[in-house]
Amino acid sequence: MVARTAGHCGPRGGVMAAPMKRAAGWGRWFCTAAAPRPWRLFGAMCLLRLPRITQPLEKEEEEMAALMEQIELEKSHYSDHEVRKLEEEEQLRRRKESAYDDDDEAPGKTVIMAQDLEDKWEQKLLGFEAAPRITDADKNNNRTSLNRKLDSNLMLLVKQKIGNQELWLLPQVEWQPGETLRSTAERAMATFLGDHIQAKILGNAPYGIYKYKFPRAIRTEDNVGAKVFFFKAFLQSSDLSQAELKEDYLWVTKDELGDYLKSEYLKKVNRFLLDL
Amino acid sequence: MSVALPKVLCLKKGTLLKQVFALGRAATPRESCLCAAGDALVSCHRHYRSRPTHGIGRFKYLLPKEAPKRRKDKVQMKEINVGTEYEYGDVNIQMTSYDMCLVEHFAQYVHKLCNRFSVRVNESYAMPTKTNEVVFLEERGSKMQLDAVLTTHQRVVQISGLSSTFAPILLEIIQSNQPEGVHLLVKEHTEADFKRRLKSRPELEELLAQMN
Repeated sequence: MVARTAGHCGPRGGVMAAPMKRAAGWGRWFCTAAAPRPWRLFGAMCLLRLPRITQPLEKEEEEMAALMEQIELEKSHYSDHEVRKLEEEEQLRRRKESAYDDDDEAPGKTVIMAQDLEDKWEQKLLGFEAAPRITDADKNNNRTSLNRKLDSNLMLLVKQKIGNQELWLLPQVEWQPGETLRSTAERAMATFLGDHIQAKILGNAPYGIYKYKFPRAIRTEDNVGAKVFFFKAFLQSSDLSQAELKEDYLWVTKDELGDYLKSEYLKKVNRFLLDL
Repeated sequence: MSVALPKVLCLKKGTLLKQVFALGRAATPRESCLCAAGDALVSCHRHYRSRPTHGIGRFKYLLPKEAPKRRKDKVQMKEINVGTEYEYGDVNIQMTSYDMCLVEHFAQYVHKLCNRFSVRVNESYAMPTKTNEVVFLEERGSKMQLDAVLTTHQRVVQISGLSSTFAPILLEIIQSNQPEGVHLLVKEHTEADFKRRLKSRPELEELLAQMN
């Protein structure tokens, strides 16, 4: 009971004590919801891996791009290299016709022709191999690896025990009085992935909220339900070798979320997910 | 005499009038020919100095007087960053790439996006291009030197008045739409950034050093 009442004044105190003062919006929000109904607060972290490749173009986009390229090519002037190449071709032709009459260059000097340069560059290009866009993880549909679906956002889902159910959720941890919700979310991330995660949270404001009431069996006067606040973080490095993942985890895209999350939860989460 | 004069005058007036009419009749056909020959929208009446419509389009005298422009360095404005409004001050979005068209198009996109979201864009400028020469020294018997010339282009879009609740969303949108090969950097505007745009004048600095 005491803990619950402490929970009310806690958030307000948390706003004042927070060193980062850029938390707009949620401070005001709290004052309206604070007084009679005791809700348990959770901070959840939505960890995103940004796409590494651009998405493939649509058919119209490709046609347009090809057309624009052709127009630009026809409108453009010759570059230095092309001018040099044309001049040298002219010289070669003239020399062949006039049968070595005017041989200005001394035979000792080796002149690198533009054509030779081009051949050299072609050779280099053939030696270059691009990394595959569709990786092995894609083919095996290995949802625990980060190398899958390089052109879309990947999100971390963890299996957690809520009440007596094991559910797939975004990693969440209960809020403790005296800390900001953002640090709660960071703690959630640390508990599931270890301390050495290079993730960047952009702002202090949460992105979404999901609130639910406990089933009537557990519900008491002071413990009506829970509110989960979502924060977004971006993975800076894709090197998770140092991460100690304790429980089951998955990296999924926005479309695949529906396979794992419950409908109400999914609705709230989908509201703040940006999938371009 | 007095009776005769009006007669003379009348006569003269009559002749004058007749002459005017003759001239008028002679003039109008020519003018109408011109009208017919040229565009239908071209008006035959120039706003020449003798016409009553002279100076019909003047408006500059109605505007308030502008102060004369002085060739001095403009001091930059800096807003409060941590305030009750929770707003960011001047923020620079710097985009760097080797490909000039790509980085320019991206800068245009960011500018238009900020306009769309009613985020005030102070300036949108380009930093000078840096040229790097890449020299390969292959030491396998014969030393070959392959040169490549890389130009790095940078475009900066300066915005202000970004609210702290909207900033993460805007950043996420810009990040998701970042093209390949473009490096994005978002930072607050400082005086050092401002000074980087100006060219240093070594002679002036020498003279100043001599003076002090």
